[in-house]
Amino acid sequence: MKHTPRALIAEITHRCPLHCVYCSNPLEMQRRSEELSTSDWISIFEQAGEMGILQLHLTGGEPLSRSDLTELVRAGRGGQLYLNLITSGVGLDERRLDELIGAGLDHIQLSFQDSEEAPANEFAGTRSHALKLRLAKIIRERRIAFTVNMVVHRRNLERLKEMIGFAEQTGAQKLEIANVQYYGWAFRNREALLPTRQQLEESIEIVEAARERLKGRLRIDFVFPDYYSKYPKPCMNGWGHQQMLIDPAGRVLPCHAAMVIPGLDFPRASEHPLRWIWEDSPAFNRFRDETWMPEPCRSCDRRTRDFGGCRCQAFLLAGDAATTDPVCTLAPTHGIVEEILQRVNGSAQREWVYRIDPA
Amino acid sequence: MSAPERNSVPRLAPGCRLNAAGGPEDLLLIPEGALRLKGPARTIVELCNGERTLADIVEELQRHYPSAQPVRIETEAVALLARLRERGVLEYV
Repeated sequence: MKHTPRALIAEITHRCPLHCVYCSNPLEMQRRSEELSTSDWISIFEQAGEMGILQLHLTGGEPLSRSDLTELVRAGRGGQLYLNLITSGVGLDERRLDELIGAGLDHIQLSFQDSEEAPANEFAGTRSHALKLRLAKIIRERRIAFTVNMVVHRRNLERLKEMIGFAEQTGAQKLEIANVQYYGWAFRNREALLPTRQQLEESIEIVEAARERLKGRLRIDFVFPDYYSKYPKPCMNGWGHQQMLIDPAGRVLPCHAAMVIPGLDFPRASEHPLRWIWEDSPAFNRFRDETWMPEPCRSCDRRTRDFGGCRCQAFLLAGDAATTDPVCTLAPTHGIVEEILQRVNGSAQREWVYRIDPA
Repeated sequence: MSAPERNSVPRLAPGCRLNAAGGPEDLLLIPEGALRLKGPARTIVELCNGERTLADIVEELQRHYPSAQPVRIETEAVALLARLRERGVLEYV
């Protein structure tokens, strides 16, 4: 089956002033000296537009850490892409925001770590909360689509109601409440971050009530902690089906975490045309469609909906990227997830570890 | 959600815009992705520029599609605008 890519996630740098305990970037981050140049990215965005890609998500690390960001936004718009900036806000002020909007930025997603300053700064490993509050006001005063993102976990779910009220005050059109997904640095801190079953159930009720109350004013997306799911998430809507990610050094991947999977050679955008990488590279075809699927996925009715779940999670949890995602209750390896949940629900919270940024 | 008034002035919400004209498909680009526009939908959305009233838009559409039934054009345009409003991609000035 032929798949048309719809979104390109461009991790333009791994540099970041924040040190979030749930960072999803890979354990091995790219250094500044390895980053693609402005003209490399411009060529990528042109190719992306020609391939039918619609959305460009500029992320990192902190994309504002690159001084050529405005130029990259302009190039993306020139390539007919829809421009989304995913940011912590650190590095933004009124002048730079106006430049970005002038260059064609369509949407800005600003992250908050909590509704309260002290824990927010603690989770981010840096003092950034007060700045973010000022930025929310500056963004709201301009005509640009605005989403607030809040990552939730064991240590802040108790304040979920306050966090939703806080998001309302920012004036955003959308709130994304995202439970931590366990990849990259977050995988290391997993047992400190996973919510308890009771926390999860309470949070679902709170979100449903808030959706009802805020209808027509603030849309709420809720990203579930999939260790508690009955069936796996349709990760990336299927490997190589709709999205691709390019890391700061130009490696083209089907998702954020794919570098963890051994034995796959991810091509570089500087060495191959993007279209070849998408259509013909062995890495993008390795888990595409259904031929790779083991049982119970192969004969499962849900295989066209969840695509066997996440390949990276299968590797991280079961040591085999070609097995059913262990979070699936039908997976032969599901016991691994049950054991983790038993530990999390039966013990006090563990300590976490902060990551150190690349140079 | 109730139908828009004839003197209301619709425009696309922040972060929503049409893709370039003349491509293989007509799309309304929005923060979450894209909505596929079929038939006259693109023309209708193009007319929602934050200056024309709904009545102006219907009138222009009737000029644009002289062979279609005027009532049907109005019903279709109103229904599309209501759907887009519901989806949060259209607002009234």
